[in-house]
Amino acid sequence: MNIDQLKKIAKQSYDANLQKANALKKAESDQILVYKNHIFHADAETICFVRTASEGMSSFFMLDSNSNPVEITDPPEFLDLLLQRNQSVLNTYHQLYQNIKNRKV
Amino acid sequence: MTKGVLLYCFDTPQVSYSKITDRCISLIERNLDLPVTVVTDADTKLRIKSNCDKHVVDIEKGNTKFSKPWYNLERHLAFEHSPYDRTVVMDVDYFCYSDKILRLLESENDFLVHKNAHDVMHREIMRYDRQAMLDLVWATVLIFNKTPRTKAIFDTVKLVKQNYQHYCNLYRISYMNFRNDYAFAIALNQINGHRDYDLIPDSIATVPADAEILELNDKGAVIRWDNKTILVQDQDLHFLNKEIAYV
Repeated sequence: MNIDQLKKIAKQSYDANLQKANALKKAESDQILVYKNHIFHADAETICFVRTASEGMSSFFMLDSNSNPVEITDPPEFLDLLLQRNQSVLNTYHQLYQNIKNRKV
Repeated sequence: MTKGVLLYCFDTPQVSYSKITDRCISLIERNLDLPVTVVTDADTKLRIKSNCDKHVVDIEKGNTKFSKPWYNLERHLAFEHSPYDRTVVMDVDYFCYSDKILRLLESENDFLVHKNAHDVMHREIMRYDRQAMLDLVWATVLIFNKTPRTKAIFDTVKLVKQNYQHYCNLYRISYMNFRNDYAFAIALNQINGHRDYDLIPDSIATVPADAEILELNDKGAVIRWDNKTILVQDQDLHFLNKEIAYV
């Protein structure tokens, strides 16, 4: 390949990464979920904690995004909402990512 | 509990903020479906076409940004201006392309603000005063209930505004023109006993002033900078380029 082709590939990669970075920021925003008047992120860490804590406990305490404590009295309901939000967001991110990838060389 | 959006809109000789406000309100109607009150001056009121409540005030002038008039000296009165129990104060150049604000309104936090913003071109240019002794907040979006604590925050902002030079010296803030971002950062810091306070957990996607806005529609914007063109949609955007009034 000549230098112009290499530069073109580098530019396309930069553009794709820029789009990916914006898509990821959008996903982070979209993951915001308010439950029982507290702000949470419907991310993998929150889902893992809620699933683990709900095993064998009908209610438990956890921290919201501002480190304020909250009692979760209906873990299945909360977990369901977290998963719904998380998968909806990741589905959108996946579609955006596929579009970005298909435009790459 | 009543909920609504409070906007501040004052046309300047350079920028038609009333046009930007009309775009902002159309997106609020589309994605938030909340009532809107616009605090404005008598002249600008005539140019706002949107169907909303308009509250006319005599504005305080004198502040500048890049040597041009900058009418940003009213926001500390939002507690008094707001007719709502739970209020979103928003810059008119913050366009709601998502329902994020609506979700945040369901929270119990009596005062929420962003601490983080990022440039959609990802150039790491948004942290612009690293010398200051406190973290900046972005007064672009404020969510508050009317409580004694939030009244104290707004009253402290008034105090900071009256003695802005002193507070700039105290906190080693080099930007000497009055900025709501700093005034609210100082007030929150003081009212919270110089400790952490509750925040909106994400980062404001910001379209920088030097980016060209090629297209604006109901879903988002096409933006160009340095021959790079990107499409950003379905996420809230804060436009620093006031050319959005004319796109």
